[in-house]
Amino acid sequence: MSDTIAGELKIAGEMNAYQRKWLANVRERVGNGEPFAICNGDEFEEIFNAMDIPVMVLNYWSKIIATEAKASYYKKVLKERGYDPLHLFFSLGLACAMDNNPETAPWGGLPKPSVIVGGSKHDREMKVLELWARECGCPFIPMEFGLNTTPEQPPLPPRWWERMRDHWDELIDPDRLNVRVEEEKSLIRFLEITTGKHFSPAKLDRVAELINEQMDYWGKVRDLIAATIPCPVSLPDQIAMYQAMWHRGTEMGCNFIKAYYEEIKERVEKGIFANPNEKLRLMYIPATTPAYAGFLEETYHASLVCFGYSSIPIDCYARTVHNNDALRTLASRHMVLFSETPDWRLKDAQLHQCDGVIEVIDPAMPSLNKPLFDASGMPLLSLYTDKDTRDIKSRLSRWIETTVLPNHKGVTL
Amino acid sequence: MTPFEIIQTHYCRRDLAARAWKQKGGKVVGYFCDNVPEELIQAAGFFPYRLSGDPTGTVEIAEKYPPTGTMAAPREGFVNSMFNRLMTGEYDFLDFLVVPHARETIHRLHQVLAEIKDQNPSFHLPELYFLDNLHTTFYWSGVYNRLRWREFKTTLEQWSGKEITDMALSDAIAVTNENRTLLKKIAALRAADPPRISGTQALRIIGSSMFMLKEEHNRRLSQFLDELDKLSAKDGVRVFVEASPLDHLQLYDIIESCGAIVVGEDHCWGNRYSDVLINTAGDPFEALADRYHNKSPCPRMFPLSRRIDYCVNSAVSAGAQGAIINVYEFDEALMWEIPDAVKALEEKGIPSLHLRNQPYRIADPDLLTSRIREFIKSI
Repeated sequence: MSDTIAGELKIAGEMNAYQRKWLANVRERVGNGEPFAICNGDEFEEIFNAMDIPVMVLNYWSKIIATEAKASYYKKVLKERGYDPLHLFFSLGLACAMDNNPETAPWGGLPKPSVIVGGSKHDREMKVLELWARECGCPFIPMEFGLNTTPEQPPLPPRWWERMRDHWDELIDPDRLNVRVEEEKSLIRFLEITTGKHFSPAKLDRVAELINEQMDYWGKVRDLIAATIPCPVSLPDQIAMYQAMWHRGTEMGCNFIKAYYEEIKERVEKGIFANPNEKLRLMYIPATTPAYAGFLEETYHASLVCFGYSSIPIDCYARTVHNNDALRTLASRHMVLFSETPDWRLKDAQLHQCDGVIEVIDPAMPSLNKPLFDASGMPLLSLYTDKDTRDIKSRLSRWIETTVLPNHKGVTL
Repeated sequence: MTPFEIIQTHYCRRDLAARAWKQKGGKVVGYFCDNVPEELIQAAGFFPYRLSGDPTGTVEIAEKYPPTGTMAAPREGFVNSMFNRLMTGEYDFLDFLVVPHARETIHRLHQVLAEIKDQNPSFHLPELYFLDNLHTTFYWSGVYNRLRWREFKTTLEQWSGKEITDMALSDAIAVTNENRTLLKKIAALRAADPPRISGTQALRIIGSSMFMLKEEHNRRLSQFLDELDKLSAKDGVRVFVEASPLDHLQLYDIIESCGAIVVGEDHCWGNRYSDVLINTAGDPFEALADRYHNKSPCPRMFPLSRRIDYCVNSAVSAGAQGAIINVYEFDEALMWEIPDAVKALEEKGIPSLHLRNQPYRIADPDLLTSRIREFIKSI
């Protein structure tokens, strides 16, 4: 076994290329009269997939717009229409629809949707989606009990992720779930009437199986990354593979993650690593790669080995279907997915054998993780930005040299 | 004191009646927003008391507990103010506090307050109750809301130790219906040509109904209305206000100091509180549930068209010549409505002045006065 520097993960390149092709194909299908849907993340995607209605998840679309550096352009579009949003990211898709210019829109823009689905996660959500649907001339279907709309419920129990797959019914209010199930049934009926597509419970059962299969492969990848020093895959590649989440419950989405696992396994067996000189392992809590990743690697031989979404697939999405009712099982997951609890974050950092954790937080809010991390001895740095500035570099250096390295005996840089 | 002076006293000293009730051995149930069925609280024998902010007060303690969670919205100033007043003990007369599923920042207060109550008992917070309430008026939402309101009724019965009978509920409905009918008369007097009541007077009258025992408010308001001939006609440009919750007089004072009269509004401390009565035919609980499920919509509700229609119809029926739109900083739900509202008002020949991102406590009254004066002149 020899230590070799890994290039870009082959499957990550394929994933990136596939997404553009997928959207081009959807445009073509819509051009031929097929339906297309937009929905908020984790609202209803699997059911669209089960009904063979292609769906774009709006947070993914916003991410694409932001990554293509179009956010300031679309901010101007919104301003011209009289809107001054507090959370620009959430409204980027609406702005893109208002602009209605495939030349400007990333990847040629979205085709005209047949329906937009979303709901009550935030006060802004229903308004933005309703305006977006109006802009596109399609119906908006509001759904109650979107993710995180139940903060008044008792907080999830300690080590909740160990109960999420098999005991999800303990973590949800059954009355709320009843309403949510009825809403989803109504939406299925609406789609059957308006699109001519058919809903098959057997197909949804298969979707539920594929979700678990896909998440299980993701869990194997997570465990390999966690156990392997140096880390076999770069953070940008890990993040690129997360795009398979938006094809949840499909053969294709599952195959992508299976191939991902096999490529990582092969790398581990052949001794191919993202950063063979890795001396420090860090967790980075947002789901992005910070601009200073190169600085960390060059100066401290530090690898960002995991990120805020590393354990979401296996800890949060996998669900055992109860009472042969895949719809109710999925509906429950549309309401409760995860909670950003410090014990979950700490578990991930420890699982990945991290020497420290960097989190990006809102300056107006205290770090929720700090008390537990301090008590556990896991070094934590809270930053307010992922930008690469002199000040940030200096804070990173100070933290690594005064907190991380003294904790990590035997490392010489 | 005249009936209006009594009403005004209760608007200024908002805890007066509740503290007196408490002194006599009664219990007070506080609540946020106007979507909590106060009739149930009254039928249980409690004093229903709506919390309000204080734009002249501080928010130091509230700021120590910022909202948490992915993409959690920052709190609007009035929410922070109410939270702060709870923490400083200004609401120490509350025995119970109902936090409804209203705007997101109110909704999230429940968890913050519950954690504080659990971890820091020295703050002496009242017993908390979360009352869920959905965003749509669809059939299934109605089924669910009824379920939660029935649970709320049971909780009130446990708190009071006695059943809320249909008769008690019908009586409470009769009292609040009478109150809303009287408040509708006030709305009509404002919409009259010329108006007989100013906007600042109206806000005091409407607001005080949520700080006084309803029977007492009805009595004083009836006396006030009996002396209508003493009310002089008001002169000024007729202005409609579309706004984030205005639990104080600052904005109306400024508008009415600029040669205008606020003849109507769309916010939950104004006419929207009282414009829908409860049907008294049939089962009282069902009638109550219907009213709260279908009442005039606040900005958190779906769909947008219902909200815009409500705003425009209210402005038109008040005979408004212009509209002032006051959106608080961080009030996202209302912010997304405004371009539609401006356009729809314009189509009805009602020009508007849009005041964006306004702090709860007016930061520069002189600047605001000059903007409003200029707008009034332009009408």
